Amino acid sequence: MKVLKVPARTIAVFIVPCLLLYVCLVFVPILVSLYTGLLKWDGLTSAHFIGFGNFKEMFFHDPVFWPSVKRTLLYSVASMLEIPLCLGMAILLNRNLKKGNTLVSIYFTPVILSVVIIGQLWKTIYNPASMGGMLNGVLISLGLDSWTHNWLTEPNIAMFALYVVSLWQYFGYHLLIQYTGVQNIPDELYEAAKIDGADGFKADRYITLPLIVPIFKISIILAFIGSLQAFDLVMVMTAGGPAHATDVISTHMYNSSFMSFKYGYGSAIATFLVVVCLVFTAFINTIFNKLERKYT
Amino acid sequence: MDKKRVKQSVTLALSAAMALSLAACGNSNNNANTSTNEATKAPDNAAAATTAPSDKKVTITFQNIYPDPATPAYKMIHELSDEYHKAHPNVTIELDTLNTDQQKVKLKTQAASKEIPDITIVNPAAQMKPFVDAGLFSPLNDMLDQNGLKDTYQAGLLDYYSFDNNVYALPDGNNIEVVYYNKDLFAQAGIAAPPTTFDELLQDVKLLKDKGITPLAIGEKDSWTGSFLFMNILLRTNGGPGFLKDVVDGKKTFEDPAFVEAVDAFQKLVAAGAFPDGATSIDANAGGNIFKSGKAAMWVIGTWETGAIDASSVAGKVGAFQFPTVDGKGDPNEFMLAPGSAFAVSANSEHLQETKDFLNFFASSYPKKQFELKNAVGLGQKVDGDLKAAGYSDLAITVAGLFNQVKGGDLSFDNTMNPATSQVHLSSIQNLFVQKVDSASVAKEHQTAFEANK
Amino acid sequence: MSKLKKGVVYLLFAIPVVTQLYPLLWLVLYSLKTNEEIMDGSFFSFPKSIQWHNYTEAYTSGSYLKYLTNSVFVTGVTMIFVILLASMAAYAISRFRWKYGNLVMTIFLMGMMIPMQATLLPLMIIFKNIHVLNTHWSLILPYVAFSTPIAVFILTGFMKAIPHEIEESAFIDGANIYRIFRSIILPVSVPPVMTVCILTFINIWNEYILAATFISSEKLKTLPFGVYTFVSQYSVNYGNIGAFLVMGALPVILIYFFLSNQITKGMVAGAVKG
Repeated sequence: MKVLKVPARTIAVFIVPCLLLYVCLVFVPILVSLYTGLLKWDGLTSAHFIGFGNFKEMFFHDPVFWPSVKRTLLYSVASMLEIPLCLGMAILLNRNLKKGNTLVSIYFTPVILSVVIIGQLWKTIYNPASMGGMLNGVLISLGLDSWTHNWLTEPNIAMFALYVVSLWQYFGYHLLIQYTGVQNIPDELYEAAKIDGADGFKADRYITLPLIVPIFKISIILAFIGSLQAFDLVMVMTAGGPAHATDVISTHMYNSSFMSFKYGYGSAIATFLVVVCLVFTAFINTIFNKLERKYT
Repeated sequence: MDKKRVKQSVTLALSAAMALSLAACGNSNNNANTSTNEATKAPDNAAAATTAPSDKKVTITFQNIYPDPATPAYKMIHELSDEYHKAHPNVTIELDTLNTDQQKVKLKTQAASKEIPDITIVNPAAQMKPFVDAGLFSPLNDMLDQNGLKDTYQAGLLDYYSFDNNVYALPDGNNIEVVYYNKDLFAQAGIAAPPTTFDELLQDVKLLKDKGITPLAIGEKDSWTGSFLFMNILLRTNGGPGFLKDVVDGKKTFEDPAFVEAVDAFQKLVAAGAFPDGATSIDANAGGNIFKSGKAAMWVIGTWETGAIDASSVAGKVGAFQFPTVDGKGDPNEFMLAPGSAFAVSANSEHLQETKDFLNFFASSYPKKQFELKNAVGLGQKVDGDLKAAGYSDLAITVAGLFNQVKGGDLSFDNTMNPATSQVHLSSIQNLFVQKVDSASVAKEHQTAFEANK
Repeated sequence: MSKLKKGVVYLLFAIPVVTQLYPLLWLVLYSLKTNEEIMDGSFFSFPKSIQWHNYTEAYTSGSYLKYLTNSVFVTGVTMIFVILLASMAAYAISRFRWKYGNLVMTIFLMGMMIPMQATLLPLMIIFKNIHVLNTHWSLILPYVAFSTPIAVFILTGFMKAIPHEIEESAFIDGANIYRIFRSIILPVSVPPVMTVCILTFINIWNEYILAATFISSEKLKTLPFGVYTFVSQYSVNYGNIGAFLVMGALPVILIYFFLSNQITKGMVAGAVKG
């Protein structure tokens, strides 16, 4: 694949500016953060080195931590489950429409809007009926009064209400990725398959799915990382409340660092988050590499 | 208790008040050179730049939490900064205006890198202590002695901002917490007089509820609001102030009956349906709007809201009363006290003297300006002037009357306890809004957090 | 395919159009209503009379133009740097024969996993020491740095698939590597570059935590910061807030609709065959 043999100096010219900036401003800060995770530090007065003390507290004594991990993982599972649906939709679009691009662009719209707008909108949807909430209003008009809820404030429901918003917002994002992937599969392949008697879903099974695997992987990884870092939406809609019922790892980290003045502890949570990201991405990569090898 | 700068008030026409040009600020500084080159020469003059007028060009960054142009506070800070700049053309005041949440995070981040702005805003007592301990703030004692500034503050108020006999910040107000109520809605529900006991309050809640009126407005997404209300109850069940202080001093624990009773009482309020549906997803200001738009009958909040209520659609229909006694305990004339957010000066400021000079002017002119802007209720400084004659509302005068009855009280939870314990408390109280909890376990949760974060 | 089946499929396509476009419509309607109409909270209703003054008020009280100019500058400079730096890096990773290509790629990919909030304080300390706090550079630098991983990722995927005969023939003609990059690689990479543009633009245009923390001068503040302050402060006029939100979203919507045909082309181009 890589044909060009160029002098080291040229490689440096191409790679160093980007890498340097990136390492200094993304990598070094996170290394600093890894280190502060080993400190007992309020961010203001002098810090004490306590080794893995923060991690001990995090894993064994913090009542908020594990539930927030669980919610975060559920979040990412939910967003990953969305992707097969997006793929199905992408296949249908590709098969039925010549100009699917316009539709895909429309589906993508929520992605470009700021979370502030999204948050305001969905709050008016989720509001209690007494405040004119649309969802409850619809349920009541259907005679389903018993189904109404305070969607954002009932501890058992609030988190699911947030998942829905996120799935809605990123539907277009993943559809777009899948759709471009599907479009890039050469038509000749399908034509050839048709001659062999494979059409419609059968063709998908033997052509689309194997060829889409790398794209699918990209979507899965992006969905996973995105939901692990979900922050803005939770802050805008519930701020982690009521009583931590919607806290996720990133909001817990933020609150610990900036509200509870436990900066070292917050950094330890950040460390955990980064490690989980790395491990899972490696895991997903391995699985998909196996899949790819199996099909090609 | 930090979102207090929520004042919004009449879009006060900036009338003749502006004409009061600040001649008082007698600095005959007219040799200031506005050319930008001047800035580069500045270091030469630095040594001379004490109190004497100098033409050194200086920019003072003033981090503040008054972002809303509709409020008196916004006008106050802009007018005073402009006036000072006019009198001292070499000094430019750069306002870094943020909302409260942003400011908290920003200051925290700045503080951790020892790079705080010349003037910033902090909350009193326990909330500012970490910053003082880190040596970030400059003592203001010398500056307070100039122009008699110190004597303008109410006796004892500066204590909330003092550590080791040094004053580190100057408050923007001194408020108490009262119950505002909508007289029309009370009449609709057939309530003759404001409740004086907690049982009466619960009855009134029921009456209001039966009429389809939200009894108590609150925006509990910002969890300080619920805590602030809860602390009123604790102040009563404890038979007086000082519960948290006793806990800190090791004389009591959170498992004390007074605390458990307070949680019980609070839960009764929740169970009676006193609060709006979905209270924990409502922002503090949206919660206030429920009251200010006439949809809720009562609002337990600090007196800093007086001006805003007078500017809202319920103006003229609102009265105020003391928080009722609980189970016959407590003195209605003891209040939750809310000494204001306060202006602190960076110890590492490059222009320490100029900054202090400016703050001296600012704090000296502050009460007069607030009075003119009809924002003098809850002022922490003495001001000459008669509210009635100046055209203040009946509500403002009622509230000012309540101030005269103050016999003592407590500071909010997060002004008394360290931040980590406070966060546990805030979410623990927020939890009471959404589910019934065993009061003893709430107490235990508090005690555990307190001991873990000592 | 049967008519019924086709009908079902088209219905399936139509539903997301409604759900995904609705927020924009909602926002526009919101911004044209009176406070009372908004407070009544109905999900879909037209304003009785259109309140254009919401826009004039939001425009005059929100420093819109100043924030907009700053945002355009910061975002513009950031995008130029991202495209330039990331495409160079991607070129080196995907086309040069050298030992550390994969390692560098992995390092970049790891960056996608780092939450920005966790770097706030370290960045503050770095910027303090290189004296860029309270300048636009304190935003541009981290924006570029945080945008590069995904940009390198997308561009590398594309560049791997460019047939290398093109380069070889250029080499034979005596062109040097820089010239090949500039006049061959960059032009053919326009689709993925557009994708990178849009993704970078969306992220940066809406970013406010760094903007609020590193910028103190009023005259340097950016639009998302303005929008956030305007919305979360204690203004009583919801219509104004709505109008400010519309004005804040307008540039991103315009850019998006100009480039949206490109984005579908460039998103993962090349990854299938790669």
